[in-house]
Amino acid sequence: MKKLYYLILSIMAVIGLWSVIIRLGEGMKVTALTTYSSWGLWVVLYIFFIGLSAGSFLLSTMVYVFNMKQFERVGRIALLSALVSLGAGMLFILIDIGHPERFWHTLVYRQGNSVLSWEIHFYLIYLVLMLAELWFLMREDLNKAAGGTGIKAAMSKLLALGYKAPQDAEQLGRHRKSAKKWLKALGIIGIPTAIAVHGGTGSIFGVVTAKHYWNSGLTPIIFLVSALVSGTALMAFIYAFWSPETDDKDTLLKKLGSLLALFISVDLLLVAAEYLIGFYSTSPEARLPLMNIVSGDNWYIFWIGQIALGALIPLALVARRNASRRAIGVAGLSVIIGIVAVRWNLIVPAYDVLPIHGLDKAYFDPRLVNHYVPNTVEWLSSLGLISLAVLIFSVAWEILPVIAEEEVQLSYDGQTNEVSTIKA
Amino acid sequence: MSSNDKDCQKERREFLKKGIAAAGSGLLLASAIKVGGATAQNSIDGGADSVLPLPKDLPADKNLLRMYQELHRALEKPMDQRQWVMVIDREKCVGCVSCTVACKAENCLPPGVVYRPVIDEEVGKFPNVRRRYLPRPCMHCEKPPCTKVCPVKATYKRSDGIVSINYEKCIGCRYCINACPYGARGFDWGEYYTEDTPEIQSYELQPGFEYGTARVRGKGKSPVGNARKCHFCIHRVNKGALPACVTTCMGRSTYFGDYSDRHSLVAELIGSTNVTRLKEELGTGPSVYYLS
Repeated sequence: MKKLYYLILSIMAVIGLWSVIIRLGEGMKVTALTTYSSWGLWVVLYIFFIGLSAGSFLLSTMVYVFNMKQFERVGRIALLSALVSLGAGMLFILIDIGHPERFWHTLVYRQGNSVLSWEIHFYLIYLVLMLAELWFLMREDLNKAAGGTGIKAAMSKLLALGYKAPQDAEQLGRHRKSAKKWLKALGIIGIPTAIAVHGGTGSIFGVVTAKHYWNSGLTPIIFLVSALVSGTALMAFIYAFWSPETDDKDTLLKKLGSLLALFISVDLLLVAAEYLIGFYSTSPEARLPLMNIVSGDNWYIFWIGQIALGALIPLALVARRNASRRAIGVAGLSVIIGIVAVRWNLIVPAYDVLPIHGLDKAYFDPRLVNHYVPNTVEWLSSLGLISLAVLIFSVAWEILPVIAEEEVQLSYDGQTNEVSTIKA
Repeated sequence: MSSNDKDCQKERREFLKKGIAAAGSGLLLASAIKVGGATAQNSIDGGADSVLPLPKDLPADKNLLRMYQELHRALEKPMDQRQWVMVIDREKCVGCVSCTVACKAENCLPPGVVYRPVIDEEVGKFPNVRRRYLPRPCMHCEKPPCTKVCPVKATYKRSDGIVSINYEKCIGCRYCINACPYGARGFDWGEYYTEDTPEIQSYELQPGFEYGTARVRGKGKSPVGNARKCHFCIHRVNKGALPACVTTCMGRSTYFGDYSDRHSLVAELIGSTNVTRLKEELGTGPSVYYLS
């Protein structure tokens, strides 16, 4: 079964990489993008994965900063998925820019006024932060696993970065305490970083005066809330179906479910605000994108994707008194798919309003229209990169001590200043 | 009748002289620009260009001649004292789109890229109906929304007012294209008009001379994969020639000049009645003024 899983993922990843090679060889002309609709599927998936990353990360801060012990078990999972998601997001942007080989320009030539310039620097800080947190969390278990044999041992030895857990119990206790302090510090820096990362991603669009649909103070907030929704949903999904059996699995899942319901509700509130205020206006630049979203050719992206899969079905699943594990896990999956629809509708409808009316009739050219449907190369490369990300996550799950053998409670016992250990 | 014959002969001779002079200076001017362009390997800023002298006899209409003279006067000033602006007279524009085509030819623009489309709108209802045309180059805004968003500062405003693109720095993220409220920025998708034919024709492999550097488009080579837009033909301007759209306009409805010269033709026009700029309310401060 596992072999089949890996086989299918690998095949999809290979097909995707082949598409990416075509894209890198032939250039941007292989896409269906146009000058008047210049950001498409790849940018949608970029913001989706950045959101997933920030959301997962913010969830992990609940454990390591706010000491919410009930979420302890998903802490490492959250950090790992945050890391892999960030990587996936960056890959999508890498193939979207006209000169992928010049990506390093963003770290050498910067622009203080450009939100995107700030964002790329934040991604770097955020990446280092996550790597550090994961290392502090896993170093003890990595050191232990390094003693074994095989690939897992080799990887563990490499990733342990030379850390040796002391044999002496008191020293070990001190090491753990120091790790806990580091984690808290990194987590504290991480909160504004993650908010800057995804609020900033939203601001990339929010500051664009040229596109009325994006140009709102709500935009960065919607991005952040969608990030929290997708991050929580991912945790619920992974934890429901792939984590080992423990005593408190059900309570933890229920708590994740409540959190998911809360975030979805806030998201719905923002949608209501945006649409009601928008539809009240007579101005075409306010109305047209919204009209196309709810009743245009792509109506199903909103109603089936964003509303049904992204909000109503998961709410129905988790709101029940004795929601089963499967229900909560499925709710998580449903939300993840729904949020992709949300991300599409955040970007593409902005192009429905041309900067100057009549611009697409002034000069006829297939690249000078604002109608966009992703083509085969875009779909295949996207599915391929997503498969690659899932593959990397799965392999990391196997090799890394994501689920600890002995669950070390690295949160503070406020009374006695002790670090307690609980058996898994 | 011999005196009449003599007069006719004299007139004919005069006419021939003037005609040859006209053709000659036209050729001179054309070759001057071409030679200048072909050997230009200047920096992208086009900084210290040598300005080729205007031919002595340039029998052109008054306004064109005046623009050439004022252009040369402006080039004698240091770069940061020039303020290039364009004025477009919508009443005179007949929508012939010659400016669009001339620009395409001058800059060797590929499929999917147009710097100066002419938008046309129908106004009124039959029988009181007419068409109005809006040639739309880059506005070269005083406060460009595009330069603000570029993550690598590949696009920037020069001291002479031109909003320029450094093709070597540009990573092709297309943020600037999204940020332009006038839709004036485009992207080079890497296509050729004759790409699905047995051979890509030589006209598509001619070098363009944008920003003073000769470039032949090729796979993965700038400007393919970069943002591109109107640059007021700065490679021509710095050599003393007006932008292609200005010289081509058959209705003489496009003007170009140095606004800091308060007695220039463009300054007079901008000070006339019924002058507007596009999307004035955005505060971008376009350098293109419309007379309507």
